[in-house]
Order: sequence, then C-alpha cells, then structure tokens
Amino acid sequence: MTALRTGFQFEMRVLRRSFGELIALVTAPLMTLVFLAVIREGGRDDLAPYAVLAPALIVLWGVALIVSGELIAQDRENESLEAMVATPASFAGVLTGRITAVTLVSLTGFAESWLAAFLVFNVAVPIPHPGLFILIVLITALAMAGTACVMSAVFVLARSARAFQNSLTYPFYVLGGVMVPISLLPGWLEPISRLVFLSWSSDLLRDALSPAPVPDLASRLAVILVLGVAAYVLGLALVRRTVDRLRRTGSLTYA
Amino acid sequence: MAEDAVEVRRLRRVFKGRRKSPDVTALDGVDLVIPAGEVHGLLGPNGAGKTTLCKILSTVLLPTSGHASVGGHDVVRETAAVRGIIGIVFGGERGLYTRLTARQNLEFWAAMYGLRGRTLRQRVDAMLGQIGLTERADDRVEGFSRGMKQRLHLARGLIGDPQVVLLDEPTTGMDPVAAREFRTLVGELRDDGRTVLLTTHDMAEAEAVCDRVTLIDNGRLLATERPAALSSWISTYSRVDARDVPAERVPQLIGELRDIPGVTAVRAIQPSGIRVETDAVDAAPQVIRHLLDSGINSVATSTPDLEEVYLHIIGERGLRVSR
Amino acid sequence: MPDLLRPVRVLRYSAGNAWADMWVIFSPLTWILGWVSRVLVQVVFFALIGLLLDSDDAVRYLFVGNAVMITAMEATMSVTTTTWERRQGTMPLLVAAPTRLWPVFVGRSVQWLPTGVITASVALFALGPAFGIEWTPAQAVVVLACLAVVAVATYCFALVLSAIVLTAMDLHNVISNVAQAITMLIAGVMVPVSFWPGWVEAIAQALPLTHGLAAIRAVTDARAVGPVAGEVAAGLVLTVGVGALWLLAAAVLLEYLAAAGRRTGSIEFAE
Repeated sequence: MTALRTGFQFEMRVLRRSFGELIALVTAPLMTLVFLAVIREGGRDDLAPYAVLAPALIVLWGVALIVSGELIAQDRENESLEAMVATPASFAGVLTGRITAVTLVSLTGFAESWLAAFLVFNVAVPIPHPGLFILIVLITALAMAGTACVMSAVFVLARSARAFQNSLTYPFYVLGGVMVPISLLPGWLEPISRLVFLSWSSDLLRDALSPAPVPDLASRLAVILVLGVAAYVLGLALVRRTVDRLRRTGSLTYA
Repeated sequence: MAEDAVEVRRLRRVFKGRRKSPDVTALDGVDLVIPAGEVHGLLGPNGAGKTTLCKILSTVLLPTSGHASVGGHDVVRETAAVRGIIGIVFGGERGLYTRLTARQNLEFWAAMYGLRGRTLRQRVDAMLGQIGLTERADDRVEGFSRGMKQRLHLARGLIGDPQVVLLDEPTTGMDPVAAREFRTLVGELRDDGRTVLLTTHDMAEAEAVCDRVTLIDNGRLLATERPAALSSWISTYSRVDARDVPAERVPQLIGELRDIPGVTAVRAIQPSGIRVETDAVDAAPQVIRHLLDSGINSVATSTPDLEEVYLHIIGERGLRVSR
Repeated sequence: MPDLLRPVRVLRYSAGNAWADMWVIFSPLTWILGWVSRVLVQVVFFALIGLLLDSDDAVRYLFVGNAVMITAMEATMSVTTTTWERRQGTMPLLVAAPTRLWPVFVGRSVQWLPTGVITASVALFALGPAFGIEWTPAQAVVVLACLAVVAVATYCFALVLSAIVLTAMDLHNVISNVAQAITMLIAGVMVPVSFWPGWVEAIAQALPLTHGLAAIRAVTDARAVGPVAGEVAAGLVLTVGVGALWLLAAAVLLEYLAAAGRRTGSIEFAE
C-alpha cells in the first residue's frame, strides 16, 4: 500500500512541474468548442452532451498515452529506473500509484469541457443522474489506468512502439465511439470496438446524460471493469517481465 | 594589416541579474592589444570572462561600455565588417549539425560566408584535406569522435578565410594526442599570417602555442607576458625540495626554514622530504645554503611552470588545474 | 553588386538539415504506418460526425476541411523542428556569420511542406471517393496546387511562431498545438467562417488556411474548374498575400531577436 501512496504522491509532484506534458488539458476546451460548433451549425443542439463528453474522453485517453505510457521509458532515459527497481518498494505498486495520479488529474478534462461549453456557447449540459455519472466516470478511469499500465510496459519493451505512439490516438477515438457512437459505424467495426473499453464507457456516459433510466447498467459497468482489469493484469505481467529482463540482462528492450 | 588585429579599451560587460540575483560583471574594464599575426593566449579559470570577451569580439554580444575593434572595425558600429573577417571556434560537442555529413556542414557554412559555386566546393574540399577528414567527409557527424568533431569545428571556423581567429577553449575534452595535433594546426594558422586569440585553462597548451599570454580572472586582466618571461619573472616563486631528511630532524628544520625571509611555506613531503616555497629572489639560495649547512645534501630547486605562476597570481581557488 | 542569391543558397543548405531531420523522425515504415494512417483516421473521425448529424453534406464538408487541415497541421509542426536549431548550439555561430539569420530558419523545416501535401492528397484522392467526393483530373491538379500554396503560406505563419518559441523553448509543444486547434476552430475547417462573430472572422482572415481552404472548397463543390476559376484565383492570391506578410514578420522578428540577444547576452555558445 505504501508503494501505491508513494508513487501517487511522487507523480502528483512531478505533474505540477511538467505542465507541458499535459498539453491535452490545454487543447481540451478548444476541442469542446469544435464539437459544439459543428453540432450547432448542423442544427442539433440536442447533441450537446455528446459534444462535451468527447473531449473529456479524448483527454483521458490522450494523457494516458503520452504521460502514463512514457513513465517507465522516461525513468530509463533519466537513468533512475535501476534505482527504482532496487528499492524495497514494489515497482509495480509505485507504477500503479503514479498511473493513478495521472489518470485522476486527466479527469479535469471533464470539468474543462463543461466549463468551456458554458462560458463560450452558454450551453449548460445537465447531468440527470449525477451519482451514476460519477460512478461511471470513476470506473472508466480505473479501466483507463489499467490500460495505461499496458501502454507503459509496451513503450519501454518495444522501443519502436513509440514511433507508433501517435497513431494510437484517433483510431481509438473512432473505435471507442468517443463522439460518434459505434452503432452508427459500419457493422464490421463493432466486434473490434467492443474490445475497447472506451466504446462501452462512451455509450454508458451518454445514456447517463439523458433523463431516461440507464438500461443494463450493472452488466455494462461490469464489462468495463473486466476489460480494465484484464488490461491491468496484462500490464503487470509485462512490467514484471520488463523488470526481470532488466535484472537478468542489464537492458530492457527487445526491439 | 597595419593596425592591430584586436584592440580592446576599458571594455565592460555587465549582465543584469534576474529577479533577486545581483548583476554580474563579466568584464570589468579590460584593455588588450593584439598585433596582427600574433597567437595570443587568454588564460583563466571558468567564469573569468574569457568567453564573454570572445562573444563581444565576434559581435555576438554587445559591450556595456568601452570599446573593442577587430581589424580596425568597431564591433558595435561596423558589425558586418567584423563578421566578414573573423572566424570563431569553440570546444565541446555542440554547434555542429550532427545529422549532416562533414561536407554538408562545411558547405552550409561556406554559403553563410558568401562562397558559391565552384569556389565553395573547392574551399570545402581544401579544408577537409587540411584537417584530415577527407576520407570521412561524407559520413554523418554524429558518428565522429571528439577529436574529429573538434577538427571539423576548426574547419568550420576557417571556412570564411578569416584574418582573425577566435579559439574558445578549443581542446576541451580532447585526449592528449588530439590536443597535440590541434596545436600543430594552430601553428599553421600563424604561418598563414592570421591572428589568433586562444582562450584556455590549460597552461601547457598556452605555453606551447602562444606568442604571448594574458592572465584573466574575475573579468580583469592580471598580466600579459611571453610564457617564458612569465615563468622567469616569477622565478621568485621558486621551490626548493630536500630529500632523505632524517625523520627526527624534520620538525626542527621546518621551523628554521620558516624563519628565513622570503619563505612562504614549508611542509613535509613523504617519504622523507621537505618542500619550501619562496616568493623573494634571494630566498631560494638562502634556503639551499641552510639545508647544506645542516648536512642535507639531496637538494633540488625548480622554477615553477605556468601552472604555478597562475596559481600564485590568481590565488588558490580550490580548483584542480589541468596540465 | 550585392549577392542577392546568398539567402537562397543558405536556405538551400539549411534545408539539408530539414531533410536529415525528416529521416530521424520517421523511417518510411513509421511514416506510412505511424503517421499517414493516423492522420487519415483523424480525417475520418471528424468526417463521421456528419453521420451523427444525419447529413451527407456535413460529412463531405467535414471531410474536405479536415483533409486540407492536415497540410496546415504539418506545416505548423515545423515549429518544433525549427527550434531544434537553437538546441544544436549554432546560434552564436549564425549570428557571428556575415549572412542574416532568416534564410537559415526559413530553410530549416521545409520537409513538412511536401509531406503535408502528400498526406492531404492521399486523404482527398484515395479516401475521398469513399465519402462521396470525386475529382476530374483538372480538379485534382488545381487542388494539388492549392495544397502546395496552403503549405507554404502556413509554413510562413509557423515561422513567426517559431521565432516566438526561440525565446521560450519549452513552449514549443503548447504553442504548436494551440495554433493548430485554433486554426481548426475558426478557419472554416469544421464550420464556415461565417459561423463565428465578426471579430473571430477577422482573426480568421489572418490565417493562410482560411483562404486556401475556401479555394479548394470552391473547386470541390463546383465539380468543374472553369466556372469557379475566379473564386479559386482570388482565394489563392489571398493565401499567398497573407503568407508573404507572415514571412516578412518572421524575418523581422528573427533579426530583432538576434539584436536583442546581443544586448542581453542570451545567445549561447556550446555548453
């Protein structure tokens, strides 16, 4: 538990300094304006909930990719990785704490997009089921943290993977139904999308923003959790392999 | 050139402190004259103001007050003229386009110095030959050793055929072999009739290469002399070493030697010696006489080299100065 | 007789760095799989919003806008690579040389120009038909020319940003991304420029993309080049004009920064 807390506090301090990494938080409000402008021009102000959710989810994923994904790789680059591995604290625990911190900070994307919508377009998107909404957001964040664990292991194990880091954004925004629900996409995409927890989260969040009761809440939440936990387990296994490899061979990367 | 290559009068440069830091005076009223064709050394520890002076002379920095001119052109008012006749070289890894080849680097700078067409290509080829990089001309700089990069820096600095060459700590990080080769190149510059200002904190280098050496510290010039003149001028700071001194006599001898006028320091040296430092011309002979009279026959004197001169004049700063 | 070609020569040699940088950032494989594919999906992502609006026109509008936006986006990414010049430690050497600074910086990141045009072309011509947009050869040629103009003009705008970033190097990412986001918002990429209030429209006129995109839309919507030739020409002239003004501003700003740097001592040697 201390490892988790140590990692969490450490990362919060780091984030306060390295604002440049959280670039997504700067562009988030602008993205909200983009989506709102498009739906307003299209005469569909009723889609405002979609327009504020999309940037929030984009921030969540984008920050995970760029910040969490880089955590281990950065440790290696500033040569603190060996030192971290050598501490009595569990490396995986510290990493999880750090990722949790990053993920929580990225949730401010939600506040930002709601605020941008209100300040610029005078649109206040109501939240009919606030408790539910928050629950879904938190579970989504958990799943994101789990997925971020995989990202951070992959980006250090396969150096060439970082060249593709950029290409793991928009494809997942499409597959995740971040703005356009996957029900509107060609049918052959659906099976693939359903493996991405974002697609479940975005649908669920959109439902939570509509006044009607949310159908199949429990089972859908369960799917998100399962996908998130599966990713976390995979991520931990990869991290363990990373550390083992470091101890055995003195180097980290395969490719 | 009839006029002096470099003339500096009462040159001051003050850097404004940021927020609560005080202002820093990097150069505090410097006067310096370098006649054409001379290789002039500027010797001083880090932070002494050497690089600041180079920056001002190369028009990269404006002085706060005072006057500096290169080849008769004022560095502030005739900037373009100055830039046309100087070349700067500095040590270290940065300043080269590492992803380009040696040839591409030189071609770029040749263009910056106004060369074109066949002249450009010929000059680049000639430079590459002069620095011994012809075979590696089309390899990327990022794969070069420190010494090769330094040679390329030199070529880059000379590509415009400058009359005045500023070398700012050019042998930083070089191994001794490479450094020695570099000194040969500096000699060639003198043979070409160019004027060279070489800044360094390496005494051996200054002594080996320069016609005259100026000592600088804390933004002020301390002395300008020929290297040999400096050494002999400071022969007052000579040292007497006594060896094979019986252990029981060491403390008493040390006390006696300390009483001799002109002796600045006496200490015991392992395994059985005493070292005496002096700062008066006739002190050393007196020390020797005393030692011989005391029955110590293994006695040697040494004239300090530039390193010790440097240390004496500038004072102990807790720095290890490289040889 | 002053050597008028010297800036051009320096630009050409500085572009050598641009080319070298390109292949440091990308290998052919990562460029195709890692970059081109991502920007194509980006265009699709935004075009699909038209599905949400249940409007084929919206889909096409968003598709064209976002495809052309790629050219502007890549030109703006030059802000990061241009400022690599300062990290090399060559600034004092450049200042001390008898040639001005601005040609060096202009040539520094030109690799983004052809790549931006190529990527946008792939989007428009290869993906376009899937979104109901087709081209006659004449249209395609005109569009290609427009893309090239957009690339160059936006690059000039990006040069001003680069000059600003030279004074605050850590902001390169923020400035580059915010500039792209604002362009996307107001230059007619997602919604017509007229959507916005007057003062925002005025700002949009200063962005090269606004006019170039208008020209491309004219060609696309008309289905033949002839009738809209005038409109296209006007859009291109405006794009070039705006770009030229930004280039001038960049050159002036760079020389000013060099002069200021000489006064304050901020032009560093190595180490």
